[in-house]
Order: sequence, then C-alpha cells, then structure tokens
Amino acid sequence: MKKMDIKIHVNGDWYELAVNSGDRLVDVLRDQLDLTGTKEGCGEGECGACTVNLDGKAVLSCLILAVQVDGCTILTIEGLQRGSELHPLQKAFTSESAIQCGYCTPGMIMSANALIYNEPEPDEDTIRKNLSNNLCRCTGYDRPVKAVLKAAKDMKGDTNV
Amino acid sequence: MFESHIAVGKSLERIDGVEKVTGSAKYATDIRLENMLHAKLIRSPHAHAKVKRIDTSSAEKLPGVRAVATILEVPKVIEYWFSLRTEKKKKQMFLRDNVVRFMGDPVLAIAADDQQTVDKALSLVKVEYEPLPAIYDPFMAMEETDVKIHSRGNIAFKVNKDYGDIQEGLKKADIIIENTYRTSKQKHAALEPFGTCVALYQSNGKLTVYSSTQLPHWSRHYLAGALDLPLNRVRVIKPHTGGSFGGRCGLIHGLEVMCSWLSRQTGRPVRMSFTREEDFIGTETRHPMTIRMKTGATRDGILTATDVDIVSDVGGYGTHYIGVIADCLSTGVGLYKTPNYSFSARAVFTNKSPCGALRGYGNPQMNFAQESQMDIIAEKLRMDPLELRLKNYRELGEIDPVLNEKILSNGLRECLEKGAELSGWEKKRHQWKRYQRSVKATRNRGIGLSIMLHGTGAGKALPDPASATVMINADGSVNLITAAADEGQGNRTVLAQIASETLGIEFEKISVSETDTETTPIDCGTHGSRQAYSGGLAVQAAATEARNQIFAYAVKELGAAEDQLRIKDGVIFEINNPDNKILISDLMRKTQIEDMNVCEQVIGSAAGVAPAMPGYYGAVFAEVEVDTETGEVKVLKLTNAFDVGRAINPDLVKGQIIGGGVMGIGFALTEGLLIEDGRILNSNFSDYRLLRACDVPEIVPIIVESDEPTGPFGAKGIGEGCMVNVASAISNAIYHATGVRLTDLCMTPEAILKGLEER
Repeated sequence: MKKMDIKIHVNGDWYELAVNSGDRLVDVLRDQLDLTGTKEGCGEGECGACTVNLDGKAVLSCLILAVQVDGCTILTIEGLQRGSELHPLQKAFTSESAIQCGYCTPGMIMSANALIYNEPEPDEDTIRKNLSNNLCRCTGYDRPVKAVLKAAKDMKGDTNV
Repeated sequence: MFESHIAVGKSLERIDGVEKVTGSAKYATDIRLENMLHAKLIRSPHAHAKVKRIDTSSAEKLPGVRAVATILEVPKVIEYWFSLRTEKKKKQMFLRDNVVRFMGDPVLAIAADDQQTVDKALSLVKVEYEPLPAIYDPFMAMEETDVKIHSRGNIAFKVNKDYGDIQEGLKKADIIIENTYRTSKQKHAALEPFGTCVALYQSNGKLTVYSSTQLPHWSRHYLAGALDLPLNRVRVIKPHTGGSFGGRCGLIHGLEVMCSWLSRQTGRPVRMSFTREEDFIGTETRHPMTIRMKTGATRDGILTATDVDIVSDVGGYGTHYIGVIADCLSTGVGLYKTPNYSFSARAVFTNKSPCGALRGYGNPQMNFAQESQMDIIAEKLRMDPLELRLKNYRELGEIDPVLNEKILSNGLRECLEKGAELSGWEKKRHQWKRYQRSVKATRNRGIGLSIMLHGTGAGKALPDPASATVMINADGSVNLITAAADEGQGNRTVLAQIASETLGIEFEKISVSETDTETTPIDCGTHGSRQAYSGGLAVQAAATEARNQIFAYAVKELGAAEDQLRIKDGVIFEINNPDNKILISDLMRKTQIEDMNVCEQVIGSAAGVAPAMPGYYGAVFAEVEVDTETGEVKVLKLTNAFDVGRAINPDLVKGQIIGGGVMGIGFALTEGLLIEDGRILNSNFSDYRLLRACDVPEIVPIIVESDEPTGPFGAKGIGEGCMVNVASAISNAIYHATGVRLTDLCMTPEAILKGLEER
C-alpha cells in the first residue's frame, strides 16, 4: 500500500506522519499516536465509540481515512482536559454516574462536546437525539443524557474543540 | 438493620471514573507489547464439515509469517468449571478434532509481523472440507440419529425433576392453561467486541494472557489444561472491560487458547482481535428455548401444578448448557409455592453458533413463560394479576425446595406495593381497559406486571470460591487485594466500600488491586450477580481479621480493653474516654517500622464459599402504547422495583436497574439473531437492533432493602435480575393494550399485526 505524508493538528500539537493510503483515522490515532482513548466498537460507523471532533464537528474516526484529514484539527478524549482539571463533561459523567464499562464513554463525551460547541444550550430532547449516534449497552442512556445537560449548564458556552 | 457510618449505603463515586472519562483506562484492545505479532482466524464457511486437508505451505513462505496453529492440534474448551472438580471430568473439557460445527467455527490462525501480512497469508491458505449434513432445529437434532454433532450424540444434557405429584396437582386445578413459548438467540453486544487478547509465552515457560474474561482464575485453569502447563506458570491479567453480560464467562471460543499456542511457537507476544462481525457470528449467545408449560390453579387463584418441558438450543458447542437449565429449574420452582412441579428439560446441540451465559442465564426465558402463564390465569379468573402474585409467591421463612434453603429475606411484597403505587397500576389498569373498549382507538395503551426471583451466586451448585486480602500500610492507607473482575458494574468500588466500612477507615484510603491471577487469591469470578455478596463476604471477613489485629495493637498502646475500643475515620479511641486515642496511621507506622522488635504489617485474609445462595426479587411494571395499524410497540415507562437486600452503593444499583431495564426491552422487542441455513443474517448494529438514546422510555428504579442476614451488611445481588422480567411485563402490557397474547420473543410488529387479525 502506498505511503503518504500528512500533517494533522491533534489535541493542540501538530504531527507529521507517514500513513498508508488505506489507514483509517482511528488506526492512526490509536496505533501511531498511542491515543487509545478513542475506541473502536464496530468499524462500520454504527456504534459511535470512535467519535472524535474534527474541525469542531463530531465524526466517526472509523469511517474517515487518515489522508482525508491532512491539515485538519482533531480533538480526542485525551485532549479535552484543561491542564490537571477535568473538563465539565468529564466531571459530569463521573458525578452523575453516567459511566459503567466506560467503553462508549469517550465517544459519547466527544459527541456531546461537538454538540455543545455548535449549540451551547441544548435541551434534553436535542441531547437525546444527539447521543442516539452512540450505542451504550450498560447505562440505558438516562444518566449520560443527564450528565450532558449538567455539563452544558456548567460550561455556559465555554467550549473547546 | 445495620447502620452505616462511612461507606456502606452511600452513593460514592466509582473508583475508576476518572480513568474512564480521560481515555486513560486500558482495555484489552489497547494492550500493545513490544515485538508483538498479529493473528487472525480462518473460520468455517460450512455449518457442519470435516476438515480433510489444510495446506498452509504458500502462506508460511510469505515473509513475516511466524506461526500457524490449527484445530487439529489446538484444543477447544467445551465445558465450564464444574468439570474442574475431577481429573476425569477435566480431561473431557478439552476437545481436539477435525470437525467444524457452525458457520464461523475457527479452523486455524496465522500470526505474522503485521495485520496486512496476516490478511495476505490467510488468503493463501487452502482448506479442504468434507461437508456433513447440518441440523439447525433442536427437535430435528433429537430425532436425527444419523447426524451426530458430537460423538456422544446431539442431546448434551437432560434432566427430570419432580416436586410433589403433578397428576394430583392437575386434578385439583379448576383451570389448566397450556402454552408453548419460544425465545430468541439474543447477543450480548457489549460495546467492546468479544474477542481481544494478547498472549505471551516466555522462554522461562511462563504464559501471560491479557484477557477481558469475567473469570480470571478459571480462565487460568482452562489455559493451563489446554496447554498442559502448571497453574503457577499461567498468569491471566484482566484489564478494564467494555461490558460482558455473561459472554466472557470463561474463554472466548477460538481466542485465548489459539493465541497462547501461537505465542508458544514463536516466543513472541501475539495479539488477536475479533471484528464486530466475528463477535456476532462466532461468540456465545443466549440459549434459545422452546418452553411448553402447563399451569393449574384453583378458582381462588391458588396454584396447584406446573408441568414444564424445555428444549434448549445449545448450538455447536456449549459451555454453560447445564447451568442455564439448572437456573430455569431453580428460578421457576423457587418463585411460587406451587406444591406440585414437574420439570423436564433437554439441552440439544445444533449447527449454530455456540450458546453460553447471558445476563439472567436461563431465567429470562423461563420467566417469560411462567409470567405469561400467570397473566393468563389472572385474566381467566378475573383477578388482579398483582393479587395473584401475592397469593402465590414463596414467602419469607419458607423452604426453597430446589436449593433446600430457608428464605431469610424477601422484599417481593414491598417491590409489588411500591411499584404499583409509583406506576399508578390500579388506575391505569382500569382506565386504559375501559378506553380500549369504548373507543375504536388505533393507539392502545396497556400496563402489565411481572415478578422474578434470581439467585445470588452459585451457592453449592458450582464451585464458587471467593477470597480477599486486606493490607494496612504504615500511613494508614489500605490495599485491598481481590480478583473480583469488574466488567463495568462497579463491583470493585462496592468491595472498597465494604472494606472501608468494616475497617472504619475512609473510603478514599482504600486502593483496590488490579485483576491479576499472579497477585490475587482465587475468586470464582464475576457471574451470577455474586460480587457484592460472595466477594463482599470475603472482603468483610478479611477486613474484620485486619481490624482485630489493629485492635490487638491498640489495646497495648492505649491500655484499654478491646471491647472498649472503636474505629472511626481512621482514629482508634476508647468509647468512654474519647481523648484516649491514636491515629491508625501512627499505630501502623509504629508496629510496622518504628518498633524494631515488631516490624509486622497488619494483613487480613479470608477465603471460602458463601453460606447460601439467597434469592433476590423484583417487580416490573411496564406501560406500553401499541399502534394497532403498524403493530409497533412503544414502551412508555418502566417502574422497576428490586429487593437487593441492602444497596451498598445505591447509585450503582440504580444504574443496574436502568441499564438492565433497557436490555430487557431489547430482549422483548428488537433483539435476536436471525439464521438462515446456518448463516447469521444480522451480524451488525444496523440489522441487530439495540435500543438507542432516543428509543428508551423513562425508567423509575426503586430499591427495596430486605436485609439478607447472610450477606455483607445485608446485601444480595442485582446484576442479572434487573433484566429478567422486563420482557414478560411488556408482553403482559401488550396483552392489556390489545388482547393479543404473544408467545414468541422478540415480539415484532409483524407478530402483533398477525395477532390483531386473529383476535
């Protein structure tokens, strides 16, 4: 497979990488940059576990080729924290008991982060629809929805993507 | 009832939350070792065949290919840990032959330097099969004697058990209801796909396996047996796990043993990771069952007899097929005080993907049949279904005839009463019924209920050891050493709470060990809703022993009698003279380091088995709206009350009730693998439909505490039971809404429309 050079901005730093033309973004994040917080649940764009933020939008990193994101800005779960302090979404997911196994959690949080960036005061219905892109087998969704509601309130529009 | 001081009964934040929200929690899929090889399986395209010849010569010539392992030399694990009890049984756990028994059954694996080389190598392998006739229907499998799926025949297990006299019971009945129920092949569909491990066999003869197993210690036994290694040369490390629900109750078919074999050939770490499709087609599912049930009752609504016959579809291999049937028996007989109960069951091999444990074991299947029957009886007798339950459930103080144990705690009545009150049962039951009769409505509402009993742990039915060690450090902090596998439910947090409460040392000062067989004493694992109870008892005993040792030192230090001493928030003090006190940290530093005549660490250990298998109970009230034009069912609300003995962490318990509720709705309405000529048709999340955030109703979780006297601080289980009786409640609600009685799961719009036509 042909190797190609790309330059991507991930969690605040630029990386110059040689990638195979068929490498997916999720592979490059996990295998080349060791950002294993982004999870793969299906590889077919159905479960949302691999959701990251790409130029401010929530995208499925298993459906995007690395070569497509040359020059783009990417935020993953590892880049959400502000210094040593947890991001309001991260705080809300722990305080609202919105986590069980935690495998869908990074994807859910990144979906919610893009939502709040684009719509700073989402209502419960909007959040519920938005989180419908992310499958969860443990929590039954109730608490993740409440956590996002709480975080959106706490953030008051102060977002990073 | 016990009064908590610092940790038990409090909704403390889980100990692994921060790792999980920052992405730093490592799962099996995240483990990478230096010099690691990648492996992948070739799976059978036939549902039943003999492997005649395997030619890997071209593949092996490919640069970068390091090892090949086939089913001709690598054994499959085909039983569960009950078989570890004797050498003879243990030998029968492992099967090595040239037969593939379902479409997707592993044939061989190749390990190479990178994934691309593996893929290329696999394309160069030639496997020659001799197709054999395949059987997909368990009833045909029982009749067909020419086709043997396993050498011992197609019936894996059969059992007949009688309590009382069934004929007498039926004679006494004023009404007898008989129906046949069928349940689906539900998949666990944990978000971390089943099937990732990394195995490393080192030159010193030691095997280390990173596996998401629920049963690290039994998995160590299985690996040691399959690879003929001593137990102390096998180490199983369980990282964070992305959900299990029973499907990791052992090893994954074709995964860990295969990987370990490849690593032993190469001396390098080998990683294998199944795709979601492989998870769907090649790993265990719930046992589909056909349950014929005949139930008799008097005019007054007293159950006189239940006659049940079950055929359980095991698939090509079974591990838990006996336990699952045993669970149908214990939960079926245990729930109601039916004096005459006749139970027969057969577990039958078919050429479909293997079945195993899935949340609830055999209970969700059995409960669907039994609780549907109860609803029909109530209707026939014009009795409130709630009243019928109250008249018949097996109460506190009675003897459970299957377990032969006295019921020491039972909060079922309170579950029913609270659930009825909070759901508005009585009012909705009457109003909605009147509405359906008066109006030609196309959206009919209904409310239904069901109850359940589930055992906590395995009691004496299976080897069910639990152990724990509590070590007090010189600064007063605590290491809790346990092999309790946390799949996400939060049991490590719960065990830390139990340690904290028992010791009188703050929760924040308890650190729970990694789940690693090398450094933890044996634990049966996380199954059967057992960790808060069985694991909790071990932790409580270990912490009590440590506490006694601390007190012995404190007696000398403070010059007070032991019965005058108390611990709270890390301080030991004399109860009638609170100024006579010492910090645990000061005392521990002194005895461990400062006083060179002592230099002893306080270590409390406990090992053993729980004294009982207490039942935990639940009542589900389901409200639905059925569109009679499309057959679609919308669940409007669930009110789910569960008696957990004592909620060590109420937030975590409610999390189970809500999550289990949603899984139960899936079992009722959307979930089931579809199989045509042996091929699974819906092996992805578009076609196998899990509920999404926009699909779920409000779920009201209610905790009832009955204080189980054998449990740690009164605790019992919750993990499985919370999904067990959701489908039956929904089915009963659909009946209330439409008059359509559905006997097959999952309950599709097509089935409802058909029912409406035939009504």
